[in-house]
Amino acid sequence: MVGIAATGAAEIARRPGRGTLRSALVRWVFIALSLGFLAAVLLAPLAAVFATALGQGIGAYLDSFKDPDTGSAIRLTLLTAVIVVPLNTIFGISAAWAIAKFEFRGKTFLITLIDLPFAVSPIISGLVYVLLFGAQGWFGIWLQEHNIDVIFALPGIVLATLFVTFPYVARELIPLMEQLGNDEEEAAITLGASGLMTFVRVTLPKIRWGLIYGVILCNARAMGEFGAVSVVSGHIRGLTTTMPLHIEILYNEYAFVGAFAVASLLTLLAVVTLIVKSVIEWQASRTTGH
Amino acid sequence: MSITLDQVTKQYQGNPVVNDVSLAVAEGEFFVLLGPSGSGKSTLLRAIAGLTEVDHGRITLFGRDVTQVSAREREVGFVFQNYALFRHMTVGENIEFALRVRREKAAERVRRRKELLELIGLADMDDRLPIQLSGGQQQRVAVARALAHKPKVLLLDEPFGALDAKIREELRRTIRSVQRELGITTILVTHDQEEAFALGDRLGVMNLGRLLEAGRPTDLYSRPATRFVATFLGAANLLLRREARLGPEAAGQSRREQEVVAMLRPEEAELAPDRDALTTGFLGYGHVEEMQFTGALERLRVRMGTEAAERHADASATAMSPVWIDVTRTQPEQRAFPLAPGQLVAVGTRRIHVLPTPLSSFTVCAESREAAERLMSNHWLTDLAARMQTRLSAQVEPQLASEIPAPGPAPAGVAVVAAGPDCPAKVRRLLGRGVTPILCLPEDAEPPGRVVVHFAGQVARRATLAMTASLLRHVPAEAVFLGILPSGSPERTRTAGVRQLLDVRSEAQAGHGLDVRTELRLGDRIEELLRELGSQPGQMLVLGLPEAGSLPENFEALLTQSPGWPVLLA
Repeated sequence: MVGIAATGAAEIARRPGRGTLRSALVRWVFIALSLGFLAAVLLAPLAAVFATALGQGIGAYLDSFKDPDTGSAIRLTLLTAVIVVPLNTIFGISAAWAIAKFEFRGKTFLITLIDLPFAVSPIISGLVYVLLFGAQGWFGIWLQEHNIDVIFALPGIVLATLFVTFPYVARELIPLMEQLGNDEEEAAITLGASGLMTFVRVTLPKIRWGLIYGVILCNARAMGEFGAVSVVSGHIRGLTTTMPLHIEILYNEYAFVGAFAVASLLTLLAVVTLIVKSVIEWQASRTTGH
Repeated sequence: MSITLDQVTKQYQGNPVVNDVSLAVAEGEFFVLLGPSGSGKSTLLRAIAGLTEVDHGRITLFGRDVTQVSAREREVGFVFQNYALFRHMTVGENIEFALRVRREKAAERVRRRKELLELIGLADMDDRLPIQLSGGQQQRVAVARALAHKPKVLLLDEPFGALDAKIREELRRTIRSVQRELGITTILVTHDQEEAFALGDRLGVMNLGRLLEAGRPTDLYSRPATRFVATFLGAANLLLRREARLGPEAAGQSRREQEVVAMLRPEEAELAPDRDALTTGFLGYGHVEEMQFTGALERLRVRMGTEAAERHADASATAMSPVWIDVTRTQPEQRAFPLAPGQLVAVGTRRIHVLPTPLSSFTVCAESREAAERLMSNHWLTDLAARMQTRLSAQVEPQLASEIPAPGPAPAGVAVVAAGPDCPAKVRRLLGRGVTPILCLPEDAEPPGRVVVHFAGQVARRATLAMTASLLRHVPAEAVFLGILPSGSPERTRTAGVRQLLDVRSEAQAGHGLDVRTELRLGDRIEELLRELGSQPGQMLVLGLPEAGSLPENFEALLTQSPGWPVLLA
């Protein structure tokens, strides 16, 4: 009796009905739609970048990197990232730690503050620094007296980039740390580990994939930031132009190959970021079993 | 003693989560802390481990005061409910973590790791990651990890909570045998009474942040002192009975029947076709209302008839609630006397235990039915009665405050009167009829957060202490004994006052297992009490009468304040 009933149910489940046919159709329409949209909006521009950069041959492409201004733009961008990313990593970890592990007054306010750079237009964040440290700014006179350049110099670029990119690590870690809880750390402490040892041996390995992803995102944004940096940099060629600013200058001078060659570097950075992200997600799912 | 807690208190946002807990656990003992969720048992365990700071009190481990010592230096092993294994380390690395932290040599680590894996029966799992293990195996690893550094104390926080019944049973045996083998002092926290009975050398039952009772499982089961322990450790029928009780306190009084709370375990009830067929003491007749077959046992609910109702409740009660008795019967008992729902049976009691609590039930005394109903619906009172799982009845006496002697019987249990201008007169009349305790209740009383205890006379009477202890087991409040001396009193009197307070404290602790703080003030008694009670809302006063049946006149001011506070005269 039971056997017959079971096979009957299995047959019905396997029989293709009108309902399944329609749902297959719907599925294909949606997949085609989203792929088409992706191709038009994302892939075509990407291809255009490389096509234009390599349009006059590989020689012209490589030559464009020999330009000293391009070289200094790349160096400045790397230098900014080297300063900004570690600072924001430290800030992100400590902010996420504070928010996920402790209850304190003004916690929701801190969370809102962390999100601020997402909400504010980058131009505004640049202008804020001009307002603070520019010649007519609040600290302008004091800075002039002490011969310190902030605006139209490296410190201004670093500050603006710092502001724009500080949510990335913290935002990645807060939900992760809240989800993972505090138990492993407490266990480590009852087993005799010090605070630092607990952090290095337990917390850091626990959050490493999330942390790496946050750092990569932070780095990509730090190198690619245009708006805020544009306001504070002053566009002094060879001195205060980062890669995105340099691309704009070259483009405005109709130096298409040069512009797109530098642009292709930033594009490659994006591609690498995405690859690393996929690898991390794969690794994370392997070790935690989610 | 290997673990000693002395008046440990922990508050969250002003509410005591752990309330004045004192406890001593002997070396090598397996102690189980049992309580419902939110009773403060886990917080207490975390406080012993140093994971939670305490607000008051002292924690001593093997004679060393560790109250201010950080968790990493307390040398305890802690096992968490959800295992808390380091997920990126293998089983072996997890177990040797404590040794690695202590920079032990590699050879020693390997030796200890092997030893512990043998102990928990997972010898071949060394290189697995925690996620590759089942829940039961993970918890075994957590136990081994907690034992690696040879702690003197093992603390387990609901270690079987997340496991299914069969694995629970098995792990329970493992933990018990590991504990016996190592002779390690252990405290386990659980909400499962079966688990507590199976594991504990001794149990402590917690509720509302207080440690209500501690003792051997059999003692707590058969002779509980509190309603909560009676009903939390297994099923219990709580019955109100009138008994002629002549204690030393009652010697001078008119001999009056007192109401007591009696506990009848379902398995101690006997059922028979009629009274003569019972082999034990007769309780009453009732009808079988529900029957449940649960395998080994049969569960019955018997609704007691009028005869029983008369014995257990006042005829004057406004709303007579029916009395049910839960009975369980074994297979042989079922075969000897098969039953059907609706059948009339005689109920007998093989063994009945009278709880030593002086708070049996509440009887609202008022001059009119409306006033009585208003008092009966007072939240303060209904909450407390519900917590105590006791009866709340009413007695209407039109001449309550007048000098004419009342014709009716004395109200049972605690007499409750409304606070207000005529409250002192009512109290005087009731005291004159030999009624104690009396509760004066203002209409808008707030739930008690603090109980102030004061003795109107020079001596602290035992009855007051018993009453206070019983009350405090049912309210989540902190308690303070307030001693007040006249402001000009000489040094010698002050010393005597302090000594008296300390005597009271130690008697409360010895006689009732109750921990309270003491405070000594200088000034006028009434003024000091008024100031203390008026300082913050949500307080109540327990006023110890100087001798049974009299209230000094100057204290009457405490009963007529508006807004007022509940006063329990005992």
